[in-house]
Amino acid sequence: MSSTRGRTAIVGIGYSEITRRSEKPLGLLAVAACRAAIDDAGLDPSQIDGLTTYPESPFAGAGNRDGIDVVSVMYIVNHLPLAADIRWYAQIETGMIASPIIEAANALIAGACEYVLVWRAMHRPEGRPRVGTSGAPRAPGEAQFMAPWGCTSIVQWHALAWQRYMHRYGATREALAALAVNSRRNANLNPRAFFYTQPMTRDDYFNSRWIAEPLCLYDCDVPVDGCVALVMTTAERARDLKNPPAYIAGWGQNTAPRRTLLHYALDDYMECGGSLARKLWRSAGLGPADMDAAELYDGFNPSTLYWLEAAGFCRQGEACIFVHDGRIALEGELPVNTFGGSLSEGRLHGMGHIAEAVRQVTHRAEQRQIKDAEAVCAIDGSPMLRGSGIVVTSSP
Amino acid sequence: MQAKPIPVPDELTRPFWEAAREHRLVVQRCIACGYYNHPPRSACDACLAQQLRFEQVSGQGRIYSFTVMHQRDVPGFEAEAPFINIVVELNEQPMLLMVSNLPFSERERVRIGTPVKVDFEERGEIVVPQFRILDP
Ligand SMILES: [Zn+2]
Repeated sequence: MSSTRGRTAIVGIGYSEITRRSEKPLGLLAVAACRAAIDDAGLDPSQIDGLTTYPESPFAGAGNRDGIDVVSVMYIVNHLPLAADIRWYAQIETGMIASPIIEAANALIAGACEYVLVWRAMHRPEGRPRVGTSGAPRAPGEAQFMAPWGCTSIVQWHALAWQRYMHRYGATREALAALAVNSRRNANLNPRAFFYTQPMTRDDYFNSRWIAEPLCLYDCDVPVDGCVALVMTTAERARDLKNPPAYIAGWGQNTAPRRTLLHYALDDYMECGGSLARKLWRSAGLGPADMDAAELYDGFNPSTLYWLEAAGFCRQGEACIFVHDGRIALEGELPVNTFGGSLSEGRLHGMGHIAEAVRQVTHRAEQRQIKDAEAVCAIDGSPMLRGSGIVVTSSP
Repeated sequence: MQAKPIPVPDELTRPFWEAAREHRLVVQRCIACGYYNHPPRSACDACLAQQLRFEQVSGQGRIYSFTVMHQRDVPGFEAEAPFINIVVELNEQPMLLMVSNLPFSERERVRIGTPVKVDFEERGEIVVPQFRILDP
């Protein structure tokens, strides 16, 4: 257990509209989500004196125009009247959205600021970028060892890793079907979810079209335009605010050196994911068995299985069995992705996972509420690539 | 329809593409520790030595993983989908991986662990190493 345990809290959540393609520019969606989060916390915008985000484009080459493709710290400074003097900000480029939350917690503990606004704005670009307009596209840099063979899409890299996992452990697509159907069932209880009104069966899963075999349409998250924002403060200040605080018990980030430096090589997932999990559990003074739910990243469906193993919820190679028999359902022994995940809520790049962990431990999870939930983890990323995670608790 | 992407060799990678033009597969190797680096590096991934040279390799390996891409949104491969990608682990070193295609006619034969051997595809101004299933 570390000296940072329970010293900061998440006290407000704000969602913009989450749609397939918004008429509004991304910047305005971010401003709407930030305003909603500040309002949810019962604060005035003039009290916000810290800002942080993870402003990554949805995929490499997707553009990074501020306010259109990404929303930077400076965009919010310029478009939302906050404290006259912002005392702290950080724009984080590694890990994922839990990483700026970790930095904000450190800044609050250090006294660098009092109330931090955190957001993640996601834009669904039109089609794929074209490299050049005529003739053959050029492939410089590391692309010259992928693009000539047409192996440049993230979904292909995840398919290669999942094929390897199936081979190594004798897993089948039934495990992914169980995850996808579980997430959809939870999304049907989440009014913000893209698939709120659309149920899905195991047959629907198996009848969906291939994207990159062995991954099908429902193994991919649903790209959306939208933003989620949070407000964080110290535990002392949190006690005076209108919502029950979600205390940040602990955190971890992927730091293990990767042997292969390749996204699609499965082999590093236990080691790299484990480097996050060990720090997460040690700092929180809690373990996997203490979690009332787990919100585990699912930009592509197999990542959730890898996290179940790397974070110690089950043994290596056994997540494909663990996800069956109702174990991960809302009423099961370890509810997973209780809000529908990125697969069914929408591609919010891990922020949906964190917002739901906060809702569960503050007992604001609507029809999805897990009775007496006290501790929930949210972990972003794919363990063999990158990641960051936090544990939130209902008491400090 | 767009043509398939053309690699742009740089000072690090030029020997790889020049050897491919002569139908030879070369991989950058560390003179100090013997480690193969692919893609080529400016310093050895294993020992950080800068003394690196390209060596011809056997061109033989096994299928480490594979996928069949169905989306028609990969630049230059729009008309080709569905198409097969394999990752080959070269015999020279564990986790020495290279990406390749297989002809779609190999769909029923592609398996993890299947032995493959390098071949070379002439593609206009360049030559691209392509692995093919090694017939027993
Ligand atoms: Zn070396």
